[in-house]
Amino acid sequence: MHESHKTRYGNIIFIALLTFGFALIIGRATPYVSIIKDLVYYIAYPNVAVANKIFHTTGRFADNIKSMVFLYQENLAYEQKNQELEDKIRNYNIISKEYDNLSKLLNLEKIKYTKSVFARISAREPGEWYQWLIIDKGENADLRKDLPVVIFNKSKNTLCAMGKILEVYKSSAKVALITNSIYELPVEIKDKGINCLAEGFDSNLIKITYIPSGSDVKSGDEIVVSELSSVFPKGIPVGVIKEVMEETYIDFKTARAEVYFESDVIYDAVILVPCESV
Amino acid sequence: MKKFITYFLLYIIFCTLQFFFGKYINICGVFPNFILILIVYLGLTRGVVSAEIAGFLFGLTWDVFSTDIFGMRAVIFTIVGYLTGMMNKHFDKDSPLAKIVIVLSANLVYWFGFSFIYWVLPASESSSSSFITAQAAFKILVTVLIAPIIFFILDRLELFVRGDT
Repeated sequence: MHESHKTRYGNIIFIALLTFGFALIIGRATPYVSIIKDLVYYIAYPNVAVANKIFHTTGRFADNIKSMVFLYQENLAYEQKNQELEDKIRNYNIISKEYDNLSKLLNLEKIKYTKSVFARISAREPGEWYQWLIIDKGENADLRKDLPVVIFNKSKNTLCAMGKILEVYKSSAKVALITNSIYELPVEIKDKGINCLAEGFDSNLIKITYIPSGSDVKSGDEIVVSELSSVFPKGIPVGVIKEVMEETYIDFKTARAEVYFESDVIYDAVILVPCESV
Repeated sequence: MKKFITYFLLYIIFCTLQFFFGKYINICGVFPNFILILIVYLGLTRGVVSAEIAGFLFGLTWDVFSTDIFGMRAVIFTIVGYLTGMMNKHFDKDSPLAKIVIVLSANLVYWFGFSFIYWVLPASESSSSSFITAQAAFKILVTVLIAPIIFFILDRLELFVRGDT
């Protein structure tokens, strides 16, 4: 009985749907449907500029996703590095405190701490090439007169002496180079413990004076800042001896040395500013 | 409500599959008639009413997207749904061979119906002739071969919807 009702119900729906379908066919509704379809496409479809923009945005979106993934990976690496550095700082602080206590107990002279201020070289006069240069940091970066200026020497992979601050302005400073003829720097021959004096020569060479006449100094010896310097910390490389003069003058001989800071093109300088602690 | 959502999802999935994925999943340029397989499946499992209503709606949707005579597929799919729904008691629904035979019959009805309507109403509005050709025969073959896979997926889906796994 139920099945018979269901079948009859199905038949009625079938006839209704067929009638409606044939009405659509006979009524030739295709052109009207096409018009409606075209209208919908016209409204819904973007123009060339918008489509272009959508494609570009999609491309950018994919790039952004990619860079987000890379950034995430990079961030993880930095977090790990940061953690390592934090551990080092914590250990350093413990050792520093221990060092303070010990130096107080033993009455030792404490090491002078310095912080590095990086500056760009903003001007260098061709006529006074070996005398001065101007850096883009000044009082606003806590710079003051007579602070040592060094440069990172790529070939030696270390900081090398370059000069000292002579004049300071609000956002710039004038640096007197060690090659300037007014400059004199106490130096020593590395590993030989011979103290002498480096004098500027207004060229890429400096004159090394007060070398004891009997001392074994030869070409190729390295010159570093001696502990007598009131500007530079001890041991900073200065240059290398190129020529030792044979003639002596009151038990001293002289030599010519090439400075390290001129071996590369200079763009940046590092100013060593003393501070209480790191 | 659950039944309605399932029907709606099937409608969306099969329309997307039929209208937008033709260029990606085809065999030598011939794309199976997924909608026809679904209508046959509904006729065999749900009966006349579900199959004919689904057939009519799918046909109408396809008519909107195509450039053929509007209402033609709606009528043919309604007939296919009605016939398969009427036959569901006379066949062993679990037999793969029976399913293949029904899908083949449904395909033949579909293509003969198509050809008949074009014969009665000459193809002034149509973009192509749709009488049974070698390509149509190949399409029927592809549809018949793919039908058991679609039936299997739909069976699994029905079990999943019912909650019997």
